[in-house]
Amino acid sequence: MARNPSTYRSGLWIDWCPGCGNFGIITAVYKAFSELDLDPSKTVVVGGIGCSGKTPHFINVNGVHSLHGRAIPFATGIKLANPELTVVVNGGDGDILGIGMGHFIALGRRNVDITVIMHDNGVYGLTKGQAAPTLKRGIKTKALSKPNIQDAINPIAIALSAGYTFVARGYSLNIDHLKELIKQAISHKGASFIDVLQPCVVYNNIYTREFYSERIYVLDEVGDWDPEVKSERVDEMMQKIDQAWRRSLEWGDKIPIGIFYKNPNYSTFEERLSMEVPTYLEKPPAKQVITTSEGRPIFTGDVFREFFSKYIIRTKNNRR
Amino acid sequence: MNEDELILMIGGPQGSGLETTAQILTSSLAYSGYGVISDREYYSNITGRHSYIHMNVSPHRIPLDLTYPVKLLGAMDAETIFTHFNDLDKGGFVIYDRSVRGRKLDSIVSMPPITKSRIREVLEKLGIGRDAGSLIDYLVENRGITGVELDFRSFLKDISNKFGIVSTQATRYTSSILVGALAGLIDIERDAIEYGLRRRFGSREKLIKHNIYLIDKVSRQVSEEYGTPMKLPPSKLNVGELLVASGNDIIAMAKVVAGLRFQSYYPITPAADESFFLETYNNFGDKGSILVIQTEDEIAAINSAIGAALAGARSATATSGPGFSLMVEGFGWAGINEVPVVITYYQRGGPATGLPTRGAQSDLMYSLFASHGEFARIVLTSGDHIEAFYDAIEAFNLAEKYQVPVIHLLDKFLANSIVTMEIPDLSSVKIDRGEIVDGGPGYKRFDLSKTISPRAFIGSSAVMWYTGSEHDEYGHTNEDPVFTARMYEKRMEKLDIMDKEIPLDLRIRYYGEKNPDYLLVGWGFVKNTCLKAIDNLKRKGLKGGYLHLRMFMPFPVKYVEEILEDMDISRVIAVEHDYMVQSALAISLFTGIRIRNSIVKYNGRPIYVHELTEAIEKVLSGEDNRVVLTYGA
Ligand SMILES: Cc1ncc(C[n+]2csc(CCOP(=O)(O)OP(=O)(O)O)c2C)c(N)n1
Ligand code: SF4
Ligand SMILES: [Mg+2]
Repeated sequence: MARNPSTYRSGLWIDWCPGCGNFGIITAVYKAFSELDLDPSKTVVVGGIGCSGKTPHFINVNGVHSLHGRAIPFATGIKLANPELTVVVNGGDGDILGIGMGHFIALGRRNVDITVIMHDNGVYGLTKGQAAPTLKRGIKTKALSKPNIQDAINPIAIALSAGYTFVARGYSLNIDHLKELIKQAISHKGASFIDVLQPCVVYNNIYTREFYSERIYVLDEVGDWDPEVKSERVDEMMQKIDQAWRRSLEWGDKIPIGIFYKNPNYSTFEERLSMEVPTYLEKPPAKQVITTSEGRPIFTGDVFREFFSKYIIRTKNNRR
Repeated sequence: MNEDELILMIGGPQGSGLETTAQILTSSLAYSGYGVISDREYYSNITGRHSYIHMNVSPHRIPLDLTYPVKLLGAMDAETIFTHFNDLDKGGFVIYDRSVRGRKLDSIVSMPPITKSRIREVLEKLGIGRDAGSLIDYLVENRGITGVELDFRSFLKDISNKFGIVSTQATRYTSSILVGALAGLIDIERDAIEYGLRRRFGSREKLIKHNIYLIDKVSRQVSEEYGTPMKLPPSKLNVGELLVASGNDIIAMAKVVAGLRFQSYYPITPAADESFFLETYNNFGDKGSILVIQTEDEIAAINSAIGAALAGARSATATSGPGFSLMVEGFGWAGINEVPVVITYYQRGGPATGLPTRGAQSDLMYSLFASHGEFARIVLTSGDHIEAFYDAIEAFNLAEKYQVPVIHLLDKFLANSIVTMEIPDLSSVKIDRGEIVDGGPGYKRFDLSKTISPRAFIGSSAVMWYTGSEHDEYGHTNEDPVFTARMYEKRMEKLDIMDKEIPLDLRIRYYGEKNPDYLLVGWGFVKNTCLKAIDNLKRKGLKGGYLHLRMFMPFPVKYVEEILEDMDISRVIAVEHDYMVQSALAISLFTGIRIRNSIVKYNGRPIYVHELTEAIEKVLSGEDNRVVLTYGA
């Protein structure tokens, strides 16, 4: 029997503001983990820093509350050292697309099997409401003294160009839909990204529950929407990226949520590593025994000599 | 100086094959049984700027120190002669191409204007014209130097005709002309040269054949004309095998032995070659493999290495100052989370890009205190390739045993110098991973019942949390005032435990006789230079000691106090590659004893034995209590 969603609650009091969209996200996470029946000891949630970054503490699986912007490198190290683990990143829009942008791109390029859930509230919640990279130009949220003069980032378009092979958007208050996205993202083989629209009830008085509920529509409900690349053909991949990219530009009266793009046929970083070292998946870094039972290195003197023979010179006259 | 040792130099533009030349010479000489150190000095440039290889070859020891003057100077170009003519010893030899004679100092575009005007002044003072020919004539007439003038073009033409090599390709053999000339003067036997070539070029038979032909021809011509004036006495080193490796190589080899399983890096001089090496030697078949990953920046390098350590892999990253600057926040995270991660830190001249390809020891204090907040860390340094090998292994043992981040602090001098050494003895090497448990339900990663809590990996049967914030025993954020202090103390108390437990030999060494007339204090690459200088002065009746500092955190307070309290402090001299004499600052910080004499160098070039010896005499005579060394090009 699958684990109950409540078994994934860490039991800690969740110190988000009442009504915060993050509650919807974490509820969807509990449900998704439960339906996937993830083993808590083989699952890791890595958080950045921010209101969203605290997420790992509230979940009863391994949790790493890392540094501002650095959740992805931590997650990458964990996953590559032990690819058997299910690794999920929860970070803010400031965290992932501001200070951590370089890592966000790098994860797409590598296509490591990690799921990134971005809490997109348009603001830096924990530092009291400054503009996040997803806040549109000209918008003045509560805490800003003047309208924002920097253009916003389009997270979906960036994820597509970075190489993520699963790109979706969810809405934190559409919990069941979000849960499905999270399940699919985790089940997807490769780097997956979910941009989760998340009302911040304290600092974002523009992108509110009302704002979203009037605009959001579900891509799946659009007649012939099919985000998935079914073959290894480059033209099909390009066509699917192209349609996803066009949809990602919609931000006005209508805002799409759902899966924008999905390509299960693209090589993951883990697969690329296995091409080079065939034993990689079976014996990844964290699972290798590096010492003999007597606490000695696996490399004995003889093995050393053989392995590094290129660096050893047998001298001409003084052969022992 | 040791009369039977040979100091030689080859210089030329970057990209002209100097490194290959040095490799071939080093292997050939090692094959003949000689001890060799070969230092490479170069600019941050791929093609065209002046670089040189400075070698010390010994028939009776394995040299790890460098000195001047040189007996042999092989010049690929005029710039080498202008740059190094003052480095040549009386009775020395300069090998050059006929065409450089006409080259004027002012026409050498690759030489920086400041260097040019400095050399111009010297030439003017000596009354020498500004062309290389006049300078060579001066050296021959006034300094007893022999000019070995060769016609590079005719040699190249010859091999190009003989083997049908297009002439533009033939220029690639220019450096072999120098090898040939040196082989002639030193009398390196043909089989040794062939051995050196084979090691460098593997199975590229054609290349080997062409080179042998050329080297043979040059060497015969040179020894016919000049004899073998630099012939080395037969080796007295009783070694059957020698390992030939740069500092980067030896650290990488050590990491393989240590059981490193995850190495992340972002390319930077002089650290990247270590990761290159590991990328090449990362697969040991049934004995395992290392995952080496080039990350998007150093921030990702340290943080992914930490992630891998949390999952249970022995993990490390290698970098230099600018890279470490980016790593510092992650380093602090490793501190508060008690993560065993090793940072191999090769110092170079700073700040900022500083002297990107030159050496320094100016990051000592930085390593000791980098990161906001306090936490237990280890800062371990190594004096030479041999020490560095064992230390690199021990760095992982200490990191895991005490669950602390470890900085293994090295420098460019070590990184880029190639030395011959005895093959490390692995029979006494141990792997100590500390207390590792499987965790299980209710596991507390930061269990306070032990200062060093048993460690379970993420992926074991336990569920655990980590946070960069102050935390409780489970790893959840906690700021309770009473509890916070306890957790803080748990982390800091490790410094005392490590101080008590870590063997002294790993932390400090004393070389020399008891009750010396004077004492040098140093660390890192100055070690062997100090030892050689002391050896030189011994012949003058001065009895010296050398206190070799190895671990700066935790600092071996008691031992240093005992040694220094026994000494007349006016006879103690700190030797270091920086301005502030940071090791002396560290000593006064930790022991309250202030060393007032210093010999420092901060121009990016290694400290040489000859200048150090002089400087010691100057300090001991009371003439000066601070000597700033500057020798080198
Ligand atoms: C290096 C660094 N700079 C700044 C901060 C301060 N800081 C904490 S949270 C935060 C922004 C959080 O915004 P976001 O990532 O969008 O997360 P949210 O709180 O909105 O969920 C900042 C700038 C920090 N912790 N570290
Ligand atoms: S500040 Fe905003 S994002 Fe942060 S917890 Fe409160 S409502 Fe949520
Ligand atoms: Mg935010």
